Amino acid sequence: MNKNKNNPFKTPESYFNSFEDKLMDKLSKPESTFPKDSAFNVPDNYFKSFNETLKKQLNNEPKVIPLFSIKKVFAVAASIAAIAVIALNYDWNSSNDLSFEDLANTDIEAYFENNDFGLSPYEIAEVLPVTNTEYSDFLSSPIESDNLLDYLNENVSDFDELNFEDNE
Amino acid sequence: MIEEETLVLDLKTKSKQAQAFEVLVNTYKERLYWQIRSIVLNHQDADDVLQNTFIKVYKNIDGFKGDSKLFSWMYRIATNEALNFIKKRAKLQGISDTDYQDKLVSNLEADVYFEGDEIQLQLQKAIATLPEKQKLVFNMKYFQELKYEEISEILDTSVGGLKASYHLAVKKLEQYLKED
Repeated sequence: MNKNKNNPFKTPESYFNSFEDKLMDKLSKPESTFPKDSAFNVPDNYFKSFNETLKKQLNNEPKVIPLFSIKKVFAVAASIAAIAVIALNYDWNSSNDLSFEDLANTDIEAYFENNDFGLSPYEIAEVLPVTNTEYSDFLSSPIESDNLLDYLNENVSDFDELNFEDNE
Repeated sequence: MIEEETLVLDLKTKSKQAQAFEVLVNTYKERLYWQIRSIVLNHQDADDVLQNTFIKVYKNIDGFKGDSKLFSWMYRIATNEALNFIKKRAKLQGISDTDYQDKLVSNLEADVYFEGDEIQLQLQKAIATLPEKQKLVFNMKYFQELKYEEISEILDTSVGGLKASYHLAVKKLEQYLKED
């Protein structure tokens, strides 16, 4: 907002432009109790000898294997020959195509356990549809209701907690 | 000091590469070291990460497009290397990143390369409680005295956002130190 025409007071040039910066700097000024020295040290001559250490490291880097070595060409030729032999003897008429259904549940579980996808349970929960998911979708065998009641009896002290609609 | 553009050009030229790399290491090793050390806290790990950082720089210099300053580019590599190092170590020990960092701070008391008094140790403990971004911003601004514009280019965050992060970090640290 511009100042009123009759207002005789003035501000220094670009006062309002720099106000935010000044305010932020002031707000961010730490108390004097913060020590300025972080107190971290390095061993004597560490920085002097660093170049040598790094040079050694760079020389120790594994060698790049050429893309087309003779050995590789032989290996590729041998595998093509092997595939040709197998293909000639294969019964092309059988219809035993593998599908997702053929995978054993244990194999799928083992795959998920042994491969890290870097996803937290929360991130997984974000992509799983909640509305159409029943707890029975996650279980290979159904739970007997007697067992369920026994479990609740032994493990839940406050039954109000189970009233999800109220606790949502 | 050699001009940055010349240095980058030399680094990409086979015949001048070795010499240029030496200049690069000499120019930046200390600054990058302190950035890494502020994240991994102990010297041995900082040394490992610093070496890996320069190895990465050496291998990827051809891919450096010059969109940002060489210094910011290397700082970003160093920061990411250090953060990944922490994450990997935490995973290896089967604990969360936060628990691992708490452990790092409690190890400081026995660290021969940490000569802090009670207040300096308390400040490090307080810094460890900050969220990652605030921790980075505080260390870079307060201890390394980088300009907001420089931090902005390294962390790819607006200057305004950085100021807010720094302000929040300072408030939290003051609160922590008062309570303790």
